[in-house]
Amino acid sequence: MNLLFLSIVALPLAASPIVYLVGRLSARRNKIWGMNITKIIALLVLFAEMVMVGFGVKTALTVGSFLLTIGDTMLAFDGIGLVISAVVLVLGACSMLFSFRYIRGEKGEEKFYALLLISVGCIMGLTYSYDLFNMWIWFEGMAISTYFLVAFYNDQPASLEAGFKYLVQSAVGSALVLFGTAIFFSLAGTTSFEQIWHLDTSGSAFTVLGGVLLVVGFGVKAALVPLHTWLPDAHSRAPSGISAMLSGIVIEAGLIAILRSVSLTGKIGADWGVILLVFGCLNILVGNLMALQQKEVKRLLAYSSIAHVGYMLIGFGISFMFSQTTGAAGGFFHLITHSLMKGLAFLSVGALMYVLFIANGKHDSLMLDDLNGVSRKYPLLAVSLSAALLSLGGLPPFAGFMSKWQILVAGAEAKTGWMWAIVIFVGLNSVLSLAYYAPMINRMYRREPSEVVQRGKAVPWVMLIPIVLLTLGILVIGIWPASMRFLTDTAANSLLYFFYN
Amino acid sequence: MTAALTLLTIGLPWLGALLVWWIGDKHEKIQHWSAVAFSLAAAGCAITLLPQVSSNASVTYSMGSVFGDYTFVPDGLGLFLSIVATSIGSLAVIFSTSYMKGEAQLGRYYAFVLFFIGAMVGLVLTSNMMLMFVFWEITALCSYALIAFHNDDPKAVKGGIKALVITSIGGVGLLLGSVVLYAFTGSFDFNNFLANSSLVPANVLGILAFGFLIAAAAKSAQFPFQTWLPDAMEAPSPISALIHAATMVNAGVYLLARFYPAFKAVPHWTEAVMVVGMLSALLAAIMALVSNDLKRVLAYSTVSQLGYMVYAVGAGSVFASQFHLFSHSIFKALLFLAAGAVIHNIGTRDMMAMGGVGKKMPFVQAVFAIGALALAGIPILNGFWSKELILEKGLQQGQFWLYVVMVIVAGLTALYTARCFWLVFRGEPRSEYHTHKTDLAMKIALAPLAIAALVSWLVVGRFSVLLGQSLPYHEIEPFPLKELFHEVISIPTLIALVFIAIGITLWLLRSRLTAFVDGLKSIRWAADNSFGFEAINGAISRSTQSLAESLRNTQTGHLSWNVLGIIAAIVILFVYIIVGA
Repeated sequence: MNLLFLSIVALPLAASPIVYLVGRLSARRNKIWGMNITKIIALLVLFAEMVMVGFGVKTALTVGSFLLTIGDTMLAFDGIGLVISAVVLVLGACSMLFSFRYIRGEKGEEKFYALLLISVGCIMGLTYSYDLFNMWIWFEGMAISTYFLVAFYNDQPASLEAGFKYLVQSAVGSALVLFGTAIFFSLAGTTSFEQIWHLDTSGSAFTVLGGVLLVVGFGVKAALVPLHTWLPDAHSRAPSGISAMLSGIVIEAGLIAILRSVSLTGKIGADWGVILLVFGCLNILVGNLMALQQKEVKRLLAYSSIAHVGYMLIGFGISFMFSQTTGAAGGFFHLITHSLMKGLAFLSVGALMYVLFIANGKHDSLMLDDLNGVSRKYPLLAVSLSAALLSLGGLPPFAGFMSKWQILVAGAEAKTGWMWAIVIFVGLNSVLSLAYYAPMINRMYRREPSEVVQRGKAVPWVMLIPIVLLTLGILVIGIWPASMRFLTDTAANSLLYFFYN
Repeated sequence: MTAALTLLTIGLPWLGALLVWWIGDKHEKIQHWSAVAFSLAAAGCAITLLPQVSSNASVTYSMGSVFGDYTFVPDGLGLFLSIVATSIGSLAVIFSTSYMKGEAQLGRYYAFVLFFIGAMVGLVLTSNMMLMFVFWEITALCSYALIAFHNDDPKAVKGGIKALVITSIGGVGLLLGSVVLYAFTGSFDFNNFLANSSLVPANVLGILAFGFLIAAAAKSAQFPFQTWLPDAMEAPSPISALIHAATMVNAGVYLLARFYPAFKAVPHWTEAVMVVGMLSALLAAIMALVSNDLKRVLAYSTVSQLGYMVYAVGAGSVFASQFHLFSHSIFKALLFLAAGAVIHNIGTRDMMAMGGVGKKMPFVQAVFAIGALALAGIPILNGFWSKELILEKGLQQGQFWLYVVMVIVAGLTALYTARCFWLVFRGEPRSEYHTHKTDLAMKIALAPLAIAALVSWLVVGRFSVLLGQSLPYHEIEPFPLKELFHEVISIPTLIALVFIAIGITLWLLRSRLTAFVDGLKSIRWAADNSFGFEAINGAISRSTQSLAESLRNTQTGHLSWNVLGIIAAIVILFVYIIVGA
């Protein structure tokens, strides 16, 4: 088991430099074949990870969480690790497969796959970590690899600006996390979760400060409002496969880090529930209102991600406030469905950007007007994007409805008036989001194609594979929500385990 | 057997939807025929289920935890509405084979129509509140997609999104009620709740009752949510007939009827329901009277008649409301399809450009006349019996002034119906138009509806037994034909008939009543704007947008401000926790 766990954590990181070297060296001999081999190796690494994580999942579900201790550091494969590993590997594989054509021929192509592997590895390490400082290291690894991925098109000023803003704000966040870690280290003499839990720290202002620093520091990455300002630029300027990863799992990793930190300061208990609920409502409102005014498609989706993080925060807030698991299960369920549907949305939009712009040698942004009449030339992409948008808007029979439902049921179970007011607020905001998702669908099904669409090229089949898979995924989960319960219920129990011990 | 039939009634249209979409728009004829076949098959299944009506679940899938058990119960209320949905659905599809001939993106059209039919059946057959909400939202999705079918027409797109947003806002009421119900009863099955409504504390019961009322009012385009239905008339006419007259808009009335036993004891609920019904009936009748758009007149008329049904539920007679729902589905679908034939032929919806159409389209004129007579409540058509029954029950219930208004509205109904029929079919043509023969497909769709409008009331006895025996909590007594005669043929009905006669006479004497007509014209502006409700819609929409626009100032693009945001968050959070502790 130890060996398996070690391999799961080590493989992507170890494979990454190999992928880079293969790509770089073979570029001299035969660029095309060299890159193909690189890509296949990278994808195989992810598949190997899936197999290993699959074994881990089986063990975790039957026997229970298992641990790995290296020196003073502990890694644990618990319910949360289960969910995040599954999501990051599925989404990572989809993004990678999609990017095979998308990034083909770009400058620095071999670095792309290496960086993607590093980010996948670091995200998994982050969620397994049961040590505050260790978690920060993985967090930094993920941050650094994504800085370069966001600014991948480094000859475009807009991408560089987005990357730079992301870097600076993320660095501020990381610094705050370090300060918070230092505070806990000074109190407990160690940064291990287990020890810090058992500290008698109730009520001390110092602990409060530590907790706040951790939450806000990680919150920059999780795009809590008002820490979110880097997100619209970064997610819209990154290559579309990376946008999918960023919205789908990177900000969620920040959210997981917040949840771990909140557990550490858990004896201050109820307050954190309220704080998460307030942040949640703020995220939903700001995300929706800002998205309403956007004319650029990827920027709209970026703001929508901010809103969806809000839904997750509400779910987790309910759990912390009322000590129940339904909210957290809903939060994890929404994490899963959001990664699939936002991933699908970004990949569909990316496919459109590829056929309309990149295949013609340009790197323009996709505007709302460019969507006119897409269904005439690209019916499959129109269907997949429509499905993603309807799912994001919380309409059945798609997955987005089911995860929001679970969160709202948790809210109802609280049986208090103001919580029900929040349920109404969330419901109304979900309807508001339809006001910006639906017009996009209407544009795609116009009969008059836009100029850009008329000049578009054919869609490469390798890009369609992840898109079709994700579409089927959100449909199946929407009809059969119980299919994800083995993941979400386990994760919810893991989250609240901290509070019962 | 029952389980299979239940699943087929929902699943066959869905299968058809996928198939028609997959066949592709290059094979138009196959698409038409497949759509007809699947919708007829679904209707067949629904009718075959009739002898197996029961109050026990025919299908149960356990989904666990917060999703409940997926259960379907083929009781009288659900079955009757399924038959209405699938039968009128089939007729609308048959009509579409002619109406939508040669249209682009037909696969999308039929896919959504079939998807809708299946979802509507699911909505009325399920006893799981989550599933009911799921189907509720799916019907909203299909309605939006079909209203905005012609995506290049901005009015259609706007109408579609408006319908989606308004009905979904109301849907939040249903959502809240459903999750709260689960929180207190531990189950999504409403039969548990109907059996024992004291499972939920009284004040919470009030929240459920009024939440459901809001959802029902929004879905059925009742006051104050009526503004979406007239704009929904941008949809192709078969869609207006199916979704916005015969099925989806009935979902609100269905919801009220279904939950009546649990909510009737909530203080002021029944009064609120009656007032909502009355206001909708009155305001919509006035709006129908002054409108020049043929489909809008019919749309307002739908709102008005739904007002009668809602009023009936409030007055305590679920049976009367469902009986009128039955009649209304038939004659309103008839009117919309006939209007569709006229519009398809002439090319405009403006009644002022019509006139004398009856000479060119005698068949359509005849069936439209039958529908109009039913709508106006003339004996012996089905609309007469059901509307008079509602008026009787309303009078028996007690609130006299509400009853008086409803009788006056019956007169108004006759007036605007006469006006509509005359302006379109009688007199001389007021503009140049060309017509061609009515297609066979359209005639095949119209004829059964016309016949049904004449005779559907004869089954009232069987209908009451169907509902009474399978709805254990509603206390519906058997109501044979004799009883119908006894109730309806009475003084109050005669008085109502007098009002109806006055309505028609006012139209016939209109040239001598210039003062009255001028008076009406002055309120046309107010009526066209839905008596201020459009302004409310606009205000909400504009204020949301201006809020969003002003929020954009927070995204400064300057790194310094962004980092300031981070620091501010730390300070505020820290202060909040310390002060709170």
